[in-house]
Amino acid sequence: MPRSQKKYSTGYNNRGQSTGFRPLIVLCIASVLLLTFYIREGESGPIHTVRAGVTTITSPARMVGAAIATPFNGLGNIFANLTASQETLDELRAQNEELTAQVAELSEAQETATRLEGLLDLRSTYNLQSTAARIIGMSSDAWSRTVTIDKGSLDGLAINMPVTNSAGVIGQIIEVSPNTATVRLANDEQSGISAMVQSTRAQGMLEGQPDGTLRLEYISVDSDVREGDIIVTSGIGGVYPKGLPLGTITSVERASNAVYYTIVVRSAVSTENNEEVLVITSLTDEQAASDEDVAEANSSPQGTTRDAQDDTSDDGSGDASADGTDTGTGE
Amino acid sequence: MDLHESSRSQTSLAAVTVVAILLQAALAPQISLFGGTINFMLILAAVYAFSGNASRAVIAGFLCGLFYDLTASVPVGLMTLLLTIGSFVLANSSAAAIGASSQNTYRLVAVFCFAVSMVYGVALVIMGIQSDLVNSLLGHGLSTAILSALVSVPFFLASGTSDSSRRGFSVKSKGSRFKGIR
Repeated sequence: MPRSQKKYSTGYNNRGQSTGFRPLIVLCIASVLLLTFYIREGESGPIHTVRAGVTTITSPARMVGAAIATPFNGLGNIFANLTASQETLDELRAQNEELTAQVAELSEAQETATRLEGLLDLRSTYNLQSTAARIIGMSSDAWSRTVTIDKGSLDGLAINMPVTNSAGVIGQIIEVSPNTATVRLANDEQSGISAMVQSTRAQGMLEGQPDGTLRLEYISVDSDVREGDIIVTSGIGGVYPKGLPLGTITSVERASNAVYYTIVVRSAVSTENNEEVLVITSLTDEQAASDEDVAEANSSPQGTTRDAQDDTSDDGSGDASADGTDTGTGE
Repeated sequence: MDLHESSRSQTSLAAVTVVAILLQAALAPQISLFGGTINFMLILAAVYAFSGNASRAVIAGFLCGLFYDLTASVPVGLMTLLLTIGSFVLANSSAAAIGASSQNTYRLVAVFCFAVSMVYGVALVIMGIQSDLVNSLLGHGLSTAILSALVSVPFFLASGTSDSSRRGFSVKSKGSRFKGIR
């Protein structure tokens, strides 16, 4: 390049040609390598470990966010009296704010007490060995349905442990850091839970759908299934205790020549910030499906008829009492 | 004068960075509208892309994507890759549009949010994490793009990078005859 040309070349050209492209190539390669290693490594691989560390570091911010977001769930509209004098108005406003805060606090405490009672009931009914935790955040991306809870590996939690609340199964732990854990919700697209119809014992798999609904798959058209039937965990697979509520059937459709029903299930649970949950840390022999249960499920996956089930059941109350209260010695 | 302005710009950029990181960690998991969430890292990458240094924009895009991947239940590396490439493209597009109005800046950012969210949705389907392409794109991707594009406005105002006629390159205050080209 001639000297004069070099002298008068602009910074724009130098920067435009020399910057941006080189880091782009290097960082693209790094990104692809990261993605490849992430997919290929196990749950305890280095990238998962780094993620657990980042989750630990950011968990205080997440808790603060949950605390900030929670009041907005319950606060209603506050109307001001525009005709009152300014002094009265100020006084009433202050009083109103105080009372609103108290009402919100008491309502929250009442709801918490109710939920805790429910959790205690669930825990004693099913004789669950569990750890209580609290939801501190939802998924920060739009494509997955997960929640973060405020307990982690330091509290004895591990990957694959099931998580419930007083109404039933919430999901399963998929990632764990020292003080938090990520729970994949039952309605996540990648979730699948061994389930059965409580009244007829027809066996299937409860799977999350892209639109956030639940479907009970692989229920044979020979099965006796109706709207309103309760779906519970079957315990097959050894992850979930058998008999925990999952939801209620809202529609049953049978396409011509189809082998299986198309069954939509309404979830029994809802997840909100600050809600208390139970993480089931281990299963007793009674809670896991026995060899007989598995053999029975294999021999008659379509279950029994409703009448036959009623005959075999003493009180007709279904699986919850059969599998829960009968097993145990309490806590 | 320029030095003072540059220092102020750097300070506001640093402040925006801290705020975006905090919001991504604390607030993004709490807000979900119409199936979408606000991607503050997408916004931050866009802010850096408009700061006038393509090399820094690419590095910022990489780090923003990495932070997003590490704080969400998603494959690590995917958003990193998309934001790295997206920041490069956006930084060069913004350089090409030098002298353009802030309206054009927001238009470019909206396209950036839309493109990254859509490609991300398609990538998740290809990887088998999502099974329904329409739901992945329209149910999650589109709403995430719209939310992020809307929330990006205050970030650009705070960082002072929205008016592209004021940023980057030496033609700024030297009366170049190319200044008015759009």
